[in-house]
Amino acid sequence: MSRRVYLDHNASTPVHPEVLAEMLPYFSEAFGNPSSVHGFGRDARAGLDTARERVARFLKVAPEEIVFTSGGTESDNFGVKGLAFARGRGHLITSKIEHHAVLRTCEWLESQGFTVTYVGVDELGMVDPDEVRRAIRPDTIGISIMHANSEVGTIQPVAAIGAIAREHGVPLHVDAVQTFGKIDLDVAGAHIDALSFSGHKIYGPKGVAGLWIRRGTKLVSVQHGGEHERRRRAGTENVPGIVGLGKAVEVRARDMREEARLVTALRDRLWQGIQASVPEARLNGHPTQRLPGTASISYRGVESESVVLGLDLKGIGVSAGSACTSGSVEPSYVLRAMGLPLDWAMGAVRHSLGRSTTAADIDYVIESVEPIVRKLRAALPVGAA
Amino acid sequence: MRYSATLLEHFLNPRNAGLMREPDGVGAEEYEGCGDLARFFLRVRDGRVSEVRFQTYGCGPTIAAASAASERVTGRRVEALLELGPQEIEEAVDGLPVDRRHAADVVAGALRAAALDALRRAREGVA
Repeated sequence: MSRRVYLDHNASTPVHPEVLAEMLPYFSEAFGNPSSVHGFGRDARAGLDTARERVARFLKVAPEEIVFTSGGTESDNFGVKGLAFARGRGHLITSKIEHHAVLRTCEWLESQGFTVTYVGVDELGMVDPDEVRRAIRPDTIGISIMHANSEVGTIQPVAAIGAIAREHGVPLHVDAVQTFGKIDLDVAGAHIDALSFSGHKIYGPKGVAGLWIRRGTKLVSVQHGGEHERRRRAGTENVPGIVGLGKAVEVRARDMREEARLVTALRDRLWQGIQASVPEARLNGHPTQRLPGTASISYRGVESESVVLGLDLKGIGVSAGSACTSGSVEPSYVLRAMGLPLDWAMGAVRHSLGRSTTAADIDYVIESVEPIVRKLRAALPVGAA
Repeated sequence: MRYSATLLEHFLNPRNAGLMREPDGVGAEEYEGCGDLARFFLRVRDGRVSEVRFQTYGCGPTIAAASAASERVTGRRVEALLELGPQEIEEAVDGLPVDRRHAADVVAGALRAAALDALRRAREGVA
């Protein structure tokens, strides 16, 4: 086994060489604390300012509306709890297929006296804006809907949901961790009030992300301490990481449209190849309104982790839609919310392509999958599937 | 790699996978909550296991454990299978990660059930 194919870009991506080069001086040369007034601090501050401007330019927002955080999970916690505690009590709306960073935050908020409506999705993983509208109550204080789901890649109608939210005067938080730097989003036009984004999904470093907060949006801090980030997020900034995030965004602004075109073609090649060679396979998620590089494919009757293991032994990195841990198996809550029958949901494998993926990689994956699924099905008990 | 070379080898090339016609004993075990399932078929000659076949549904370790166990118990006295524990199955694949130990439980349970069924059939004279 020498060949290695990485198709798990929705989990994380390698740092882009241009990003790494930009980051390195901030570890050893411009290492100062950006809050310090001396030259060392000012050098670090300059790196932060540049990164903030790059993100702001990409989102077409004001730099002072950007707050850097430690990751997408913190951004989501900040966005959702920030909206909730700005009012102190009331009702929130989210969807059943949000990332755990939103879902578990909402569940925790329920334990703190808030109420939450979890709207469903259709069989393609799409939230119906009208269902969001119907869920709005006089005491609704916030809505949180993801831009695209990491597992199946379905892109949500956030602009339509934003219009409804605005019409009712309810602030909207959007978890855009999976779409930021991959597809266009007009945050101002979509009436979004807060937006989570992350670095390591777009060839930036891990441990750095951000939350855009529209000026005037009432959002309280969840982390208290010093005066950092205009007193909205205490803690010394991760300067090299933020510099890397800023550079990653700049690179994405330059490359993302062309890459999206290439990656979409490869994604479709993957599905067409698998569809032609493996019986009882299906593509999950929306056929077109989908992240460029994401293909969730279910093999009926087989257990996805076995497919992942089989592909891993061929040097291919993909991820399982179902996670088997001791004592419980979770057939992806996303696929269950989409109404996928258990025997399909258990066999879901997510392939997420990226800038380095080639047609030869895709062909190698296609030819590797068929024997693995065939062998697994050969050992399958009748009636178990 | 979190799995042993032995486990991966059995996963890639499972021995004795599939159905058996007219077995002398059949047993299955399911791991509750996880859905992992193993079913074993035994052929018995002169009180000993002469042939084993299995079917599984589960993660890679379950398939590997079933394959390794099928080799290990061939030739053993059927009564002896009633004593089969997960520890021996785990040894047969050179160890399992803690969160995959249930693979050994499922396989051991299915083999014990198959042995019990074979003994019952022999006692009752069922073909």
